[in-house]
Amino acid sequence: MIVSKAKERQDVINMLEGVKSVFLLGCSECATLCGTGSPEALAEMKESLESIGKKVTGTFVAKTGCQVLGTKVELKANKEEVDAADAILVMSCGAGTQSMVEVFKDKKVYPANDTAFLGNMTRFQHFDERCSMCGECIIDKTGGICPVTTCPKGILNGPCGGTNNGFCEVSPDIECAWAKIYARMERTGELEKMRQIIPPKDYSKKLSPKVFVIEKKKEEK
Amino acid sequence: MKRLKEALEAGEFTITAECGPPKGTDIAEMLEHARHLLGKINAINVTDNQSAVVRIGSLPVCRLLSEMGHDPIFQLTCRDRNRLAIQSDLMGAHILGIKNVLCMTGDHVAAGDHKTAKPVYDLESVQLLQTVAALNGGHDLAGNEMKGATNLYQGAVVTPEANPIEPQMLKFEKKVKAGANFFQTQAIYDMDNFKRFMDRARKYNVKVLAGILLLKNAGMANFLNKFVPGITVPQELIDRLKAAGKEGALECGMDIAAEQVRIIKEQGIADGAHVMAIGLENKVPEILKRAGIA
Ligand code: SF4
Ligand code: SF4
Repeated sequence: MIVSKAKERQDVINMLEGVKSVFLLGCSECATLCGTGSPEALAEMKESLESIGKKVTGTFVAKTGCQVLGTKVELKANKEEVDAADAILVMSCGAGTQSMVEVFKDKKVYPANDTAFLGNMTRFQHFDERCSMCGECIIDKTGGICPVTTCPKGILNGPCGGTNNGFCEVSPDIECAWAKIYARMERTGELEKMRQIIPPKDYSKKLSPKVFVIEKKKEEK
Repeated sequence: MKRLKEALEAGEFTITAECGPPKGTDIAEMLEHARHLLGKINAINVTDNQSAVVRIGSLPVCRLLSEMGHDPIFQLTCRDRNRLAIQSDLMGAHILGIKNVLCMTGDHVAAGDHKTAKPVYDLESVQLLQTVAALNGGHDLAGNEMKGATNLYQGAVVTPEANPIEPQMLKFEKKVKAGANFFQTQAIYDMDNFKRFMDRARKYNVKVLAGILLLKNAGMANFLNKFVPGITVPQELIDRLKAAGKEGALECGMDIAAEQVRIIKEQGIADGAHVMAIGLENKVPEILKRAGIA
């Protein structure tokens, strides 16, 4: 899921300088799991903003905030509340925030969260980054473990000299990706594969902004 | 003195040392140290923003040392340059008369003095070796033909005391395949372990220079053990440094380094030694003398 972190409250308050009334929008997907866009998070934000004299015209948790059209339709019921607000404060990822920018052309829209990474929830509300969406997956060659993301240097061909009893020289909190890859490929009997040199990555696959359209299957005659 | 490539190819016991460019433009001391080494070593490494700390670039310093009469080894990391900059620096090295390049991935910016920098790592060491091989063959990494190829002698690094060692050996093999002609090792202290490493390294057609790092005192040895992955100073050496006392520690460290070089040479364990003195390059000639290398 997309991991988001709540900004420091003071930063949000600074952002809202001159804004008297806000509409709060959350998201029921990732931001709810991260606790940054859940009904509870919205209620807490409402209380906090009201305590400093801002008017909260309404709150709503979108089903899927990054879904532009769906969210637009959902919000029709809240039209008056949104219209009454000087700004919309979006408590989701940066994509959800920009859905609002697209739907409300003339309304100020601000982000309440920092969007961090694509994360695996490995324990309750504990997220680990395993994939950085490089656009061309190569983990068939690395035992299913991504060195692009989990090695801080993104090394594709084996451990650097800093590999340290299974940990990484960059931080004792990080396991060395290549020690893990080796151990796993040994278990799965794929070490021969590890001998092949992986060529430089094609970073054109990662150039932003990206567009992806799923083509409709042609109707069978 | 023969140059690096000639010495290694002639099967001579080859000596390299290191020059770390300073942060700032006052290079008097650096040049003075390098002058001390003239005629005593076959080649001199010039480090590339070592430990991710900003200093003068390796390439201009290589050129200065080449003018002085040294055979410089251009250390090149992938941390600070993408594949375009790497290739233009490699061609630049060639036209400046630099003959050797040491290909490394490079310490992470988290280790250095600009921790908020964006690390590049567009390529890594194995791919960098392939890049040099491509340029030596007259084509760039995208396959475009060049007007004049480079002619660079390719080196790489390896950590014989890495733990675990197996993935390290696999990478060593990849580096050989990618075109490495010679290796300089991370500092080694445990000779038995190094011999085991060399037994395996000898299966490949490459030259290996053993990394000898001058121990200045027991504190430094403890620091290496604690904070530098891939270096293990045995307790016996730490005890010797301690016993030598404050005054005698450096002398003792020089003796230890000299003994190591002597053993490696006399027993034919490796093809040479890479002596790192980190700021005390002026001691290298004396170490070599004690090792029985004129
Ligand atoms: S290689 Fe890594 S970053 Fe790229 S798609 Fe696969 S898992 Fe994600
Ligand atoms: S220690 Fe392992 S994970 Fe860390 S940078 Fe080196 S190879 Fe990558």
